[in-house]
Amino acid sequence: MSVASDQELEKFRLEVRAFLETAPTESILEAGRKTTSVFAPFAPTMAWQKILSDKGWVAPSWPKEFGGTGWDVQQRYIFAEEYNRLCLPPLLPQNLQMVGPAVIGFGSDQQKAELLPRMLSGEDFWCQGYSEPGAGSDLASLKCRADKDGGDYVLNGSKTWTTYAHHANKMFALVRTSSEGKPQRGITFLLLDMNLPGMEVRPIIGLDGCPEQCEVFFSDVRVPQCNRVGNENEGWSVAKYVLEFERGGSTFAPWLNPALERLRQQCGKPLSAQGERLIDDPHIRRRLAALEVDIQAVEHTEKRVNASLKHGENPGPMASLIKIMGSEVMQSFSELQLDVAGLDALPVQREALEIGATPGDIVPEAHSLAMPYYLNTRAASIYAGSNEVQRSLLAKAVLGL
Amino acid sequence: MQFQYNEEQALFKDSLKKFVDDNYAYESRCKLVDSAQGYSEAHWQKLAELGVLGLPFAEEYGGFAGDLPFLTAVAEEFGRGLVVEPFFSTVVLAGQLLASAAPDSIKTELLPKVADGTLKLALAWEERGSRGNPGRTDCTVVDKGDRAILQGEKLAVLGGGSADAMLVTARTDEGKLALLLVNAGVPGLTIKPYALVNGSRGATLSFSDVEATVLQTDALALVQACLDRALIVLCAEALGAMDALMANTLEYSKTRQQFGLPIAAFQALQHRMADMYIACEKTRSLLWAAIQADAQGDCRRAASVLKAEVGSGGRYVGQQAIQLHGGIGMTDELNVGAHFKLLTQIDILCGNRDFHLQRLSDLAEVH
Repeated sequence: MSVASDQELEKFRLEVRAFLETAPTESILEAGRKTTSVFAPFAPTMAWQKILSDKGWVAPSWPKEFGGTGWDVQQRYIFAEEYNRLCLPPLLPQNLQMVGPAVIGFGSDQQKAELLPRMLSGEDFWCQGYSEPGAGSDLASLKCRADKDGGDYVLNGSKTWTTYAHHANKMFALVRTSSEGKPQRGITFLLLDMNLPGMEVRPIIGLDGCPEQCEVFFSDVRVPQCNRVGNENEGWSVAKYVLEFERGGSTFAPWLNPALERLRQQCGKPLSAQGERLIDDPHIRRRLAALEVDIQAVEHTEKRVNASLKHGENPGPMASLIKIMGSEVMQSFSELQLDVAGLDALPVQREALEIGATPGDIVPEAHSLAMPYYLNTRAASIYAGSNEVQRSLLAKAVLGL
Repeated sequence: MQFQYNEEQALFKDSLKKFVDDNYAYESRCKLVDSAQGYSEAHWQKLAELGVLGLPFAEEYGGFAGDLPFLTAVAEEFGRGLVVEPFFSTVVLAGQLLASAAPDSIKTELLPKVADGTLKLALAWEERGSRGNPGRTDCTVVDKGDRAILQGEKLAVLGGGSADAMLVTARTDEGKLALLLVNAGVPGLTIKPYALVNGSRGATLSFSDVEATVLQTDALALVQACLDRALIVLCAEALGAMDALMANTLEYSKTRQQFGLPIAAFQALQHRMADMYIACEKTRSLLWAAIQADAQGDCRRAASVLKAEVGSGGRYVGQQAIQLHGGIGMTDELNVGAHFKLLTQIDILCGNRDFHLQRLSDLAEVH
């Protein structure tokens, strides 16, 4: 099942570790520690992407000819394990796991040559224009219109839940080019610049008080037709390919395992001068152990599914299984982390969580993350296909119901 | 057996509902939460006029001698409306404890001012190490004859930044829990105010050689009894938030269309909302059980049962309300998130679910 021998894999692990332990700057490490959702702080994370890109390690899942690493699934898993053990900021998925694969799979030679290197280096940052106010779980019902006029498409409508649109210089979007036939027909995948006349970005304040998502409005925005990826009216196939890529690329356990270990160590610290420790509370010990069981189940499901894949294959509907399991264990983890932080989780510490801020003196840093992380992680069962949609997919595609 | 508000209590509850409807539109509430003070003095005066601030106190101290259901009625409406004025800290926690623990001279001086809205109080008891247990404190007090000297730190003190005076718990040389009265301006007291996750305000209080008035030198039983009653009121606030989430989610599910249908048409979501409803009704039953237990003189177990249920039931209702709202539930643009954060905060305050399950186990006798 493995291309590389165990010995070679161990050597690979040490090579990865040696680089990851020395390459990140202080602010990159800080960004890793202060990541309170799946989206790490923008500036230091993009600086880190550049370092990894220079090393050639930025896109392990891409084919080698386009700048990937050529690693097999086991090597990629090892990379993820070492990466998360060091609590490094997760790279933003938009370039590397969303628009990149779309362009690789469906883009023209010119688009590939022009755009892929800048996605890898982070010179461009892309945001995802998929969801709309009326089109969430039911994405195919999207209405943002693109009408042909001369050599352009003219866009009217809006997009929402566009993560980090306020940081992006490019957008990949699904737009409606025809209303005939099934709603999936008539959708086109477009690439556009964020500074076009008629575009407006409005950040949305999340539960943690920070802008992460945005709404984007289009009013007669002109996009050249050559910015289309794939055929007109066939953007749904591109999106489906990318969604499977997005889900298949998820590795939950490499993140969860070291996070649980950090939480356990946190419980070993004395609460006060009297020296009591949460780790001495049998109930906390049992909850940590129960979470370990859940994480093991995720880890070995991920590994089992990976092992069954041939190179370049997507996990298909099994990705739904992993997404449901992984996101729900992340949520249980966030609940335990919140209970461990206790009262320390209540004061809002937004300033202390900014990169480069002087450490706050109200509560310990690890505890100040617990509430924003808990709140933001509620989204894990909503984004990338809600867990209800994923369960329906499992029932239909795997159980044949 | 009382399982609903009587006519007088219901009328009072209606007057609070009107206060909330008139003053607490979500947009106005957001502005209030973002303001420097974090609450409204005008609202506070209105609450005094409505009789809310003197509600539990005897008439000789300017109060209305309202029993527990009056307080839970207020709390339900405040939970529904996401009210941020420091009613719970001033009246329910500190006011009631002062009424049960202070000598008459102090009560005569302070309680009428609480009732008429000119004095705010706070109770400083929770610490990083207390984890819900009021008997467990790192703060110390030393009796110097004519005065007492207080040292230590209290965390997330509700209303701690706006209080004119606070009640503080601390350990004596004999290892007993003393209850002290401290004025806000006293030397050696540092107050670091901050916003709490639900939008109300709290503070860290640090005491360095602070002079304090000793109210009681062995106050654990008094403090515990006051906290148990306060827990019931806090859980009523949670119930108000749960009811609001239930109503809002039900409403949203009937209007939100996906796949050509209102999402309420999907059986998976119908069952989820049925479970949310069950969680609300369990809490309502246990709230009335606790009110009855209090009327019979011992609400220790009933208060812990209620708080433990609110911990899990409130979490479930809050999480599912977000899930059923989808993306919009993850923003500060709807009040759904604010109710969810209130429920999250209530679980953590005054001992979380785990603490109260442990306490129930400790209170159980095995023969």
